[in-house]
Amino acid sequence: MNEDKSNDIFIFPKWTGVLRPAVAVGALGGVLYAAVVVAFGFSPQATDVGYEPVQPVPYSHALHVGQLGMDCRYCHTGVEVAANALIPPSQTCMNCHKTVRANSEKLIPVFESYSTGMPVEWVRVHDLPDYVFFNHSAHVRRGVGCVSCHGRIDTMEIVSQQKPLSMGWCLDCHRNPEEHLRPADYVFQLDWVPEEDQLVLGARLREINDINPPQDCNTCHR
Amino acid sequence: MSTGNTTRSDRAALYGYLVAFDKVDELLVAAAAVRDAGYTRWDAHTPFVIHGLDVAMGVKKTVLPYIVFLAGLTGAAAGILLQWWTNAVDYPFLISGKPLFSLPANIPVAFETTILFAAISALVGMLALNGLPQLSHPLFSNRSFKRVTDDRFFISIEAQDPLFEVAKTRELLESVSDQPVEEIEELS
Amino acid sequence: MSTPVSYLDNTGDDPAVRARLVVGDNDFHSVTNTVCGIVEQPRPPKFWWVAFAASSSLTLVLFACIGYLVTTGIGVWGLQVPVGWGYAIVNFVFWVGIGHAGTLISAILFLLRQRWRTSINRFAEAMTIFAVVCAGIFPGIHVGRIWFAYWLFPIPNQMSMWPNFRSPLLWDVFAVGTYATVSLLFWYMGMIPDLASIRDRATTKLRFYIYGVLSLGWRSSNRHWHRFEFAYLLLASLATPLVLSVHSVVSFDFAVSIMPGWHTTIFPPYFVAGAIFSGFAMVVTLIIPTRKFFGLEEIITARHLENMAKIMLATGMMVGLAYSTEFFVAWYSGNTYEAFTFLNRAFGPYAWAYWTMVTCNVLVPQIFWFRKLRNKTIILWVASILINVGMWFERFVIVVSSLSRDYLPTSWGYYRPTAIDVLTFVGSFGLFFTLFLLFVRFLPMVGMAEVKGVMPQAHLDRPGHRGHGDYHGDIAGVEVV
Repeated sequence: MNEDKSNDIFIFPKWTGVLRPAVAVGALGGVLYAAVVVAFGFSPQATDVGYEPVQPVPYSHALHVGQLGMDCRYCHTGVEVAANALIPPSQTCMNCHKTVRANSEKLIPVFESYSTGMPVEWVRVHDLPDYVFFNHSAHVRRGVGCVSCHGRIDTMEIVSQQKPLSMGWCLDCHRNPEEHLRPADYVFQLDWVPEEDQLVLGARLREINDINPPQDCNTCHR
Repeated sequence: MSTGNTTRSDRAALYGYLVAFDKVDELLVAAAAVRDAGYTRWDAHTPFVIHGLDVAMGVKKTVLPYIVFLAGLTGAAAGILLQWWTNAVDYPFLISGKPLFSLPANIPVAFETTILFAAISALVGMLALNGLPQLSHPLFSNRSFKRVTDDRFFISIEAQDPLFEVAKTRELLESVSDQPVEEIEELS
Repeated sequence: MSTPVSYLDNTGDDPAVRARLVVGDNDFHSVTNTVCGIVEQPRPPKFWWVAFAASSSLTLVLFACIGYLVTTGIGVWGLQVPVGWGYAIVNFVFWVGIGHAGTLISAILFLLRQRWRTSINRFAEAMTIFAVVCAGIFPGIHVGRIWFAYWLFPIPNQMSMWPNFRSPLLWDVFAVGTYATVSLLFWYMGMIPDLASIRDRATTKLRFYIYGVLSLGWRSSNRHWHRFEFAYLLLASLATPLVLSVHSVVSFDFAVSIMPGWHTTIFPPYFVAGAIFSGFAMVVTLIIPTRKFFGLEEIITARHLENMAKIMLATGMMVGLAYSTEFFVAWYSGNTYEAFTFLNRAFGPYAWAYWTMVTCNVLVPQIFWFRKLRNKTIILWVASILINVGMWFERFVIVVSSLSRDYLPTSWGYYRPTAIDVLTFVGSFGLFFTLFLLFVRFLPMVGMAEVKGVMPQAHLDRPGHRGHGDYHGDIAGVEVV
C-alpha cells in the first residue's frame, strides 16, 4: 500500500472551496465574453474604418473641394461612366499648378511625375478585395451620393475611410436603398440635406427610377 | 461551521463518524439499518456503483432527467429558431427554388442541437446537483478513506444530522460493522 | 504474468455459462493496482518511447504537409476535374467511421447491458475522440484557406452571411461537432471516479494536485453515484441515436447529390454498419498490443477479443450485403448511368481498389466463423489491420470511382494522389497514435470503477444469486422502502 510509505496525507487546502463559485462565474463570464467578442469583434465596426494613410503629396480635399468648390468629376472623370472613379493624372493637377504655387516644395512629386511621365504613387484608401466587383457609374447614375460611401470628403485635410465597406454594410443599402437615394442633381453635393423626410424621398425616387438592388452572389462576386 | 446540537462534545468541531466495511453485503445491511434509524445527513461511499444501495439507503430519485429533458427541448427550439432566423429571415436566400424554411431540411441540425444541449446539461447538471467540484472535504483528511476509490466501503454520518448523538450514533455504527468507528473533524 | 494460457481462456459458446470478465486471481485492489500502476510508473517503458518517437515524427510530417498546403495552395493535392473530392474526404470519412466504435461500446452496449464493455469502453472512447480529432482536420484544411474555417459555423460576421442550413455539408459540421463534444463529455465523466483512484494513491504532491483537480473532488458518495449513474444512462441514451445519426449525416454528403453510385437510400445504414465495422477493427488493432505490453490480459480478456471478432463478422457481412445490394439495385433500377458506374467500379480502372475492398471487408472477416482462428490473437490482429485497409479503400472507391466517371465523358479522368496527399494521410496516423500513446501513459485506460462492478466480488455473496448482482431488497432483516 503506497500510503504506508509516508506519514503525510495530501489534501487540498480549504480555500479551494471557492472553486465551485469560480467555475460558475467563469462559465457565465465565458458566455458573456463570447457574446462581446461576437458583437464587437465580428461587427462592421471592426473593419478598416479610420484608415488614413500618408500620401506622397499632402493634397487637401478640404481646400480644393470645400473652399475652392471644385466638382468631384473634375478629377475623378470616370465616376459617372465607368466602374472606376479614376485617380487623375498629374496633367490634371498641372492645369492649375503650372501657375498656382508653381514653386511649392510640397508639389515636387507632382512636378516630377509631370516631367517624367511616371505617375504619383498615391495610396489607395477605399480598397475593396479583388473578388468584389464594384461599379461607380451604376451607383452614381441611380442617385447614390458620393457622401454615402466616402463621407464628407470636402472637409477632410487627409482622406480617411469613413465607412466599413464590409459585405454586410453593402447589403444594408442593397436591402434598404431608400436611406441613400437622392435626386441626380445633388449626387456630388456632399453637404446636401433633403428638404423632406429622406425615407419618403428615397421611396419616391426608388419608385420613379425603378431601383431594385440585386442581392445575388454574382452581383458583386463575378 | 458549528453544530447547534446539544450533545456535541466541546473538542474541535466534529464533522461526523466514519466506519469502513470490507464486503458489499455488510454495507447493504448497515445502510438499511442507518436508514431505518431515521438519519438523513449521512452517506455511503463505495468504489463503484452498487445497485441495491440506493434502495438500502432510501435515496430519492434525482431530478436530473427533467433537467435534461428541458435542456433537450431548449436545444430543439434553438436549432429550429437558428435555422429559421438565419436562412429565412435575416438573409433570405433562394437556392434552387427551395423553400426558405422547410422542416425536413432542418431536422438534422435541430436533432444535433437537441442532443448537444441535453448532453451538456446531463454532465453539468450531475456535477451541480452533486455540488462538485469540491476539492476540499473533511473526509479527505482520513487516511483509511483513501481506499474508498480502491476496494473499501464506508458509511459516514454527519454531526449536522438532527438525530446525531455522539454516543448513540457511535453505538449504532459499532453494531453494524466490526471495524472501528472513526471521528472526522471539520476542516480547520 | 506466468499464468498458463488455458487459465486466461474464458471464451466459449455455452450460453448457460456466464463467462468471467476478469480472469486470474484478481480482486478490487489488484485491478486498481494493475490499471493505476501503468500511470504511476516513474517513466514509461522503452517500447512506449519507441512508439512515441515514431508517431510524433509522423505528426510533424502531418503539420509540415498542412503548412505546405496552406502556404502554397490546394494545387499540392492531386485534385483535378472531374475528381474534386479526393483524399481529404476519403480520410475524413475513414476517421469519422473509426470514431464510431467508442460510443457504440460505451452507449449502445451499455443500454443492451453487455457487461463485457466495461474493460474496453474507456479505451474505445479515447480512440473515438482521437479519431474524430484526425477527421476534423480534413474539412478544416480541405479548401486550403484555413482562416475561413469559421465560415462553417453560424457566427455573426461582417458579411452578414449565414451558412446554408439546407446543405448536408453543414449538417455534417453539426453532427461531427456534437459527436466530438458528447464523446468528450461521456469519456471525461466516466473517468472521474478513476481519476480519483489515481489521486488517492498519489505518492507525489504534483500527481495528487493534477489528478485531484481533474477528478473534481469526487468522494465516491453513493448520493453522488446515484446522479452519476443517471447522468451516465442519459448520456448513453442520447449518444445512441447520435452515433447512428453521425454517419448517416456523413452519408448524406453523398446520397443527397445526384452522382450515380452516391444517390441511393441505402447509404445511411450502409455507412453506419461500415463505421462500426472499421471502429471495432481499429479497437482490436490497438488493444491487442496494448494489453500485451501493459500486462492487461486478465482484464481485457480473450473473451473480449472474441466478442469484438463476432461483431466484426456481423458488421462485415452487413457491409457485404450493402455491396451486393448496390449491384442489384443498379441492375434492377434499369438506370444506365447507375449500371455503368457499378460495372466500372468492379471492372474499370479502379478495379484494383474495388477488389482490395471486397477482399478485406467481406472475405477476411469470414475467418471469424472459426473459433480457433478468431481466438488466435495474431490472426485477429492481422485481420483487423486488413479490415482497416479495406474500409479506407471502401471510401476511396465510393468517392473516386464515381467522380472520375461523371455524366460528361469528355471530362473523365484518372485520379492520382500526390506525395503530399499520401503523407498527409500517413501523418494523420501519427497524430492519432501520439494522442493515443499520451492517453495510455497519463490516464486510466480501463474503467476501473465499472470493471469492479462486474466482478464476482461486487455481488452478493449468497447462494441463489449467481452473481448477477442487483440487490432486490431480499437481505434478511432489511426492509425495502
